[in-house]
Amino acid sequence: MREFLRRIRDSVFRTGWPEDERRALMAMRSSFLLHIHAAKVRPASLRATATWGLGLLSLFLFGSLVITGVYLMFYYVPHPDAAWRSMKDLAFVVPFGVVTRNLHRWGAHAMVALVLLHMGRVFLTGGYKAPREANWVAGVLLAILTLGLSFTGYLLPWDQLAYWAVTVGSKMVASVPGIGPATALLLLGDHTVGEAALLRFYVLHCVVLPLAVAGLVALHLYRVRKDGGLVTSEHAPAPAEGPRLLPAWPHLIYRELALLAGLVMALLVLSMVLDAPLEPQADPTRTPNPAKAPWYFLGIQELAHYSAFWGGVFVPAATIGVLILLPYVDRHDQGLGRYWPKERRTANTVFLLIAAFFVTETVIGTFFRGPAWALMWWPG
Amino acid sequence: MTAEPTLPRWLHVVVLGSLFLTAALVGVLLVHDAARPTQVEQRIVTELGVVDRCETCHDAADHPAPWLDDHAVERFGCTTCHGGQGLALTKAAAHEAGPDWEHPLYDASEREAACGACHEATTVVGAPGLSHGRALLAERGCAGCHSIPGFALPETAPQLDGLRDKVSAGWVHAWLTDPAPLNPGHKMPRFALTDAERDALVAFLFSLDGPALDPAPAAGDSDRGRLAVAQRRCTTCHRVDERGGDVGSDLTLAGAKLQPAWFSSFLVDTHRLRPATRMPGFKLSPEEAADIVAYAGEQWVPDADVPWSAQPDSVDPTLAATGRALFIDRGCAGCHRAGDVPRTRAAMALDDLGRRHVADLPQAGAAPTHDLPSWIATKVLVPAAFDVPGVAAAKMPAFTGLSADDALDLGIALAALRKDGVPGGWKVHAPALTASVPAGEVGALVDRFRCLVCHQLGGQGGAVAGVGLDGEGSRVRREWLVAFLQQPVTIRMDQSARMPVMGITEAEATKLAEWIGSSLADPAIPEGAVLGDPVAGATAYAARGCATCHVVHGEGTMKGPTLDGSGSRLDPDYVVALLAKGGTVVPGGRHPEGGLPEAEARDIAAWIASL
Repeated sequence: MREFLRRIRDSVFRTGWPEDERRALMAMRSSFLLHIHAAKVRPASLRATATWGLGLLSLFLFGSLVITGVYLMFYYVPHPDAAWRSMKDLAFVVPFGVVTRNLHRWGAHAMVALVLLHMGRVFLTGGYKAPREANWVAGVLLAILTLGLSFTGYLLPWDQLAYWAVTVGSKMVASVPGIGPATALLLLGDHTVGEAALLRFYVLHCVVLPLAVAGLVALHLYRVRKDGGLVTSEHAPAPAEGPRLLPAWPHLIYRELALLAGLVMALLVLSMVLDAPLEPQADPTRTPNPAKAPWYFLGIQELAHYSAFWGGVFVPAATIGVLILLPYVDRHDQGLGRYWPKERRTANTVFLLIAAFFVTETVIGTFFRGPAWALMWWPG
Repeated sequence: MTAEPTLPRWLHVVVLGSLFLTAALVGVLLVHDAARPTQVEQRIVTELGVVDRCETCHDAADHPAPWLDDHAVERFGCTTCHGGQGLALTKAAAHEAGPDWEHPLYDASEREAACGACHEATTVVGAPGLSHGRALLAERGCAGCHSIPGFALPETAPQLDGLRDKVSAGWVHAWLTDPAPLNPGHKMPRFALTDAERDALVAFLFSLDGPALDPAPAAGDSDRGRLAVAQRRCTTCHRVDERGGDVGSDLTLAGAKLQPAWFSSFLVDTHRLRPATRMPGFKLSPEEAADIVAYAGEQWVPDADVPWSAQPDSVDPTLAATGRALFIDRGCAGCHRAGDVPRTRAAMALDDLGRRHVADLPQAGAAPTHDLPSWIATKVLVPAAFDVPGVAAAKMPAFTGLSADDALDLGIALAALRKDGVPGGWKVHAPALTASVPAGEVGALVDRFRCLVCHQLGGQGGAVAGVGLDGEGSRVRREWLVAFLQQPVTIRMDQSARMPVMGITEAEATKLAEWIGSSLADPAIPEGAVLGDPVAGATAYAARGCATCHVVHGEGTMKGPTLDGSGSRLDPDYVVALLAKGGTVVPGGRHPEGGLPEAEARDIAAWIASL
């Protein structure tokens, strides 16, 4: 019997537990999950400050969102009559319904934040430069898809918060000159947020966008490997002693494991302490004042308040355009792998100023805008 | 190649520590989840959109009687009447408000408002506040300004054409400033008007021509006038010096207020001057009218100056157009007819008020009102309560003489207004009016004498008279009725309202009595009862303690009608039915439950017939 079980185990884990470096390297090569990494990594890449784990945390969050999302799908009914009631079922009758919804909600917010931070890190360290241009573009697209996933998921609870945030969001889409109204119609399937919009958002949220993200993530990771792994500084002090390269097992894998375990624990604690927001059932006849988009769009909503076209359309579109074209325009190849190199001081200053601008606008839109979008000092 | 560095110790601590803590958290979740109810009792009423899990904790068998007899929980669920969050399975979530559920369980007033979502009749048994509120809606003319389902534009306010013939400009100024002192108990609310606005309104109203007045009669005699006022029983409807009814206006100052020519014309030709008035057409002779006017000029005047002596008495005709616009803007046209002004409503429709959330409504003061009836009550009592500085003030007038309870009842009635609140099949409509007044001569008489201002008939009409007209044809003898209509005698000493003497002729009285006798008989009272033994009846009368309320041969009390002479008044069939079946035979009657044996009832009826 033991022999039988061992045979099954060995068929799956070909190399056995990697007790020595040879078997560790074999494991890294032969394992489907592990061969994503190089068998050996530079010690500089292992330092926490090299990436802060942001990309990997985003990936882990995506995985946890898929798992919790599938569980929620068992109970969720994407119809205006039933959607909000599904939230109530999760709250009162579904086993672990509350904590699952909380995990999904907070995980989604965290993913949006971490994806954007990840992008910032890559920019500051010049990770978008040759030969990584295409992967940077893939990353920008993933960031957009992440926002799309969060936005489509935002509608599903069908409460006042969801309904009016998506109404505001779709109005912003519709205000784009030319293609705006048609795009909004395509998105909502109607002129207002209703039954058709809910179904479309549901399908986008549960099928289309996750598959797109999964595919692009595979490409993204593949290109990370093929483009030489993590961008590191050519000026990084070579280890005075010790090897130039370390086996990925256990040095990288254990660190990643620690990240995963820490993330799961942090998310669980958060989800057990703090419940995901839920407001009264969506009521198209009751407009909250102010109606606010999800937080990550509040910077744009704030800008749109000044000028619907310049703030609401031009600035976001230009930002995305610049981000995509950036690696093909900025071709200096100095100062990579460091956060504040002399050579990239101008580029990073401009980037940080722009980021600070968006953060400021978002904070203003979130905390300092009251009824009729009038400035106020503090909510309440 | 140098020695390979070993894995840092902290990494093991983080990984193992996180895994351990995660396992502990999952354990906590498992324990927590075990507390979730495993057996959920759920009522689903698809049509009403109700999914109620209240019975997971509550047993419907404990519900106080008799509400569930007509409102089975299988059919209505719980939250239809009680509010709260039916889906919830924790006490706090089910009973209280929270971020995702705005409203706690209904309080008493909200429960009554919930009754009104289905029950459309004015009077709803078991919901006194709702019923009273609906009566007040009609009485206070709310539908003059607001569209309220089931309430037409009020017709009780006087038509204002020819107002200058009736009163002075000063009086109108005073009236518009505050009607209450001039006519206590009057229903017109107090409007917040500036002097200039009052000038304009007076100018407009005094520009309207009214019906021509009769030629002024010779001066009347005030002594004869006093007699006429007493004989005609004017105080059944009108108040003088704080005594009398409140159907008509207060006459304490009528002698100073009314222009004599208009006053006498009105007494002679009431319905020509004021077609919609509630006052019967007495058709007084010009001489009798002149006597009453003379009496009023002596007695119905203030001791000192009239209250409106300080008011401007001049009229600036150029302001008439401004006044007309104001008349419409302030909603005057909702209640009053005046010239060619269309009857329009000046304020918002209230047909969906019951579905407004208090959270969306303005709040005043530090303590927010959490339930809709209370919010409405505040608004009704102090219309400016929710005014915001810098925003145009509310135009709603102040309704005087409303108590806090009255206002709450109005709040209940208005909070019951829910457009599409319940599917049509769930509505309980107002009972169809069972009897109606025929057209033709009888109808004209009933209209002229304004019978339904005081008497109930088929669910409509006023409640001034103690006796409704339904079934009256079975209760009294026709000959008696003919005589009574011509000269109404007082039957119920305990009631202050006495039927006015309207000068009904014998021919008219006969027509009315025929109609009452044939059309207004109660089919539940069998005819042709065989009377019993009057002697045994007299004994039974004494034994049953009838004298506690009735008077016979001068003995007894006057809580009920005196029975001396009632042999010619009461129909014996009715007496038998009343004694055998009880007070329910008279609508609103106070006679005790009968339940007497048929034979005993027939004996007493025989005795009463002999009185």
